[in-house]
Order: sequence, then structure tokens, then C-alpha cells
Amino acid sequence: MPVPILKQGQVLIASIQAALTDQDLLQLQDELAEKVGRFRSRGVIIDVTALDVMDSFATRTLRGIAATTRLRGAKTVVVGVQPDVAIAIVQLGLTLHGVATALDLEEGFELLKQSATWNRSL
Amino acid sequence: MPEQRPAVPFRITEFAPSDIERRLEFVNLGPDDREHIVAVKPDVVDHLDEHVAAFFEHLNKFEESRGLTGRPELLEEARRLKREHLVAMVSGDYGRDYIEQRFQLGQVYSRAALEVSIFMGAFHALMSSIGRRIVSRFPAKPIDGFEHFTSIKKVAFFDIAIIVDAMMADREQTIRQQEEAIRELSTPTLQVRDGLLILPIIGLLDTQRAKQLTDSLLHAIRVHRARVVVMDITGVATVDSKVANHLIQTVEAAALMGASVIVTGVSAEVAQSLVTLGVDLGRIRTLGDLQGGLEEAERILGYSVVRGAGSFEPA
Repeated sequence: MPVPILKQGQVLIASIQAALTDQDLLQLQDELAEKVGRFRSRGVIIDVTALDVMDSFATRTLRGIAATTRLRGAKTVVVGVQPDVAIAIVQLGLTLHGVATALDLEEGFELLKQSATWNRSL
Repeated sequence: MPEQRPAVPFRITEFAPSDIERRLEFVNLGPDDREHIVAVKPDVVDHLDEHVAAFFEHLNKFEESRGLTGRPELLEEARRLKREHLVAMVSGDYGRDYIEQRFQLGQVYSRAALEVSIFMGAFHALMSSIGRRIVSRFPAKPIDGFEHFTSIKKVAFFDIAIIVDAMMADREQTIRQQEEAIRELSTPTLQVRDGLLILPIIGLLDTQRAKQLTDSLLHAIRVHRARVVVMDITGVATVDSKVANHLIQTVEAAALMGASVIVTGVSAEVAQSLVTLGVDLGRIRTLGDLQGGLEEAERILGYSVVRGAGSFEPA
């Protein structure tokens, strides 16, 4: 199932609704890379609240998305990681280094507002 | 610690008929023995009071058995069960009901905090009393008396095993409950400001506890919407590489939830040993003491505490 990407001001919000295949993840990466340029976005929020598993491919792709969008001028924040998912990620030795994280959508917006490069006209 | 099925059934409901059979095989109770037991039945049943008295008189001699002898209601129940026990012992039927009675008696002893060692002494006094009656029935051939007594002793050993198991099971259950309680108590997560939690860790940090601690911290982060957590390890006496690894995992898991963790209270010894072990805590923000941690957290969150005139009055 492809991930819907919403635009809110200068922020793109990718809200993951169900478990994703590797193909869906790659498609998400491509779409975000493209839309960040098209909408001149400064921030990307990926909401993973609905995910109850995250494997190595998913964490790697999220790192990839963060790196890609940074090159395109947008900061990526992953929000809504569940406690059990967080424990699993750490225990599997996976990381989200280089990716900003926040508790939920609201905190994610806060974080983007605070970042130094942020355009105040959000 | 994985939950494993105990080797000894804890409750009467866990005793399968095959378990009972097996236990009877353990004490080697055969058809001959059952005949012997029927033959000496009067020696036990006709002198019930004498035998029961031998058991409790023995207990009375020792201060350590006050838990039972000093509590009339328990003592009364124990006496009643003991009488039933002796009658059942020579009935020849050692099924489920019999086991259940043994369990009840074992639980009475364990409620009375009766030590296994004292119980064994008293049980021996009881068996001696029975033995004397049986042997005196065969004045001409003492060896026959001995054979008969041996048969009944097999049942006695069968009983002791069950009663001791019941006493042990009761004690183990208490220990498990206490462990659980300590575990629950030992990892509180406290909110001190909006968005700021403190997590004081005291005592030994093993894998099980580290897991539980991480779990409760992550849930607290979500419930309190925390952004900063100050983890104080002043109360952790030793930190080896395993414990350090647990701490790193906790910090990283919290980071995935969008909270940053400040570790405080790393003592000089702990710091030295971490460096010696070559554990890399470089990704973790550490500060000397809890106060420093709180001040740093307040700075991050934008709080500023200003000291005013105050209103201190000695109580």
C-alpha cells in the first residue's frame, strides 16, 4: 500500500497507515525526494505510529530518506515510534542515527520550528 | 529469567495420576507392603492419640516450633489433619485425596513457619512410636516386626516427600511474589517538570531489570510527553560492560521516541572501570550529579529557576 503524502505549509507529512513492503518504502523515498523539490518544502515528517515492526530495511530506508531530503534542503523527523518498536530496534542493533525523532506529529512540528534553518513564515 | 515449569508440581491439580504412581515406585511400595500395612492397621488406629502425642510432644520441646505450638487454631488444625493422616496412612489407598491431605498439612506447617528440620525430627518421633507398637506385636520374630514396620515406613517417606515439596512450593511462591514486588518498586519514573522525567536507578542492573526499566521509561515518556530524561545511576554500585550496554540501549530507545537522556551520578570508580573496559559512552550525555543533570535539562527545555526571598520557617 503506497503511503499518502500530505502537504501542510512548508512541511510534507507522510503518514504510514499499515505495514509496508520494501517496494512501498523505496517508492516513499523516491516520492519524498521528488516532492521536497517540487513544493520547496523545508521539513518532512514521517509518522510511523501505525507500525508495530521495523526491520533493518525500514530503518536503513528512513536514514536514506533523511540523507536525501537534507541534500534537497529539508529536515526529516520520524515521529510516533512505539515503545516496543524502539526496544526492538535497539536490541537488533539497528539505528536511526542522523534522523531526528519526536514523540508525535505535534512534537515533530515543534522540532522543525526550532531548527535553525527554519523559515519563520511557516 | 525464562519462566520454566517447576520440577515439582506446586498444586494438587498439577499432580497427574502417573506422578503419584511414579512416586510410589520411588519408595518401592509393592503388594507385600500393602498386606503388611493392613496387618498392622490396629497398631496405628487403636493408638492414634499416643502416636499423635509423640509428634506434638517432640515439637513442644523446641522453641523454634513456637509458630505452630504457640498458635492454638493452627495447632488444632494440625492435630486434626495428623489424626486423619495416620488413619489414611494404613488405609492402603494412596490416591489423589491422600495427596491432597498431605498438601493441606504441608501448607499448615508452612503457615506456621515450621522448619523442615524440626518437622523431620517430630516425624521421626511419630514413626518411632508406631514402630514400637508394631515390633511389640511380634515378640518371637522381631524380623517380622521390622518387615512390617519397613512397609509402613515406605508410605511415611512417600508422605514426607510430598509434605516437604508442599512446604517448599509455598516458600518459593512467597519469594517469587517478593521479587516481583521489589522489581516493581525499584524503577520509578518521576516527572519533575513538564517534559522532564527523572529515573533514579538503585541496585543491581541485570538484563531482566534493564529490559523492564527501558520498557517502563518508554511508556512514561509517551504518557508524560517527556523531551528530556535525567537518569541517575548514583545508586548503581558496579557498572560492567554488560550494564553499560543496557544503559546505551535505553538511551537510544528513548532517542527513538524523541526524548534525550542525560546520565548523571557516574562515580569516580564507575568512570574508571568504564574507561578501563573500553566502553564507549561517547554518544551519551553525562553530567556529574543529579543537580547538574536537572539544571542542564531545564536549560534545554527553556526553564529558568530564579531564587527569590523564600518563606522558609523551621518546622
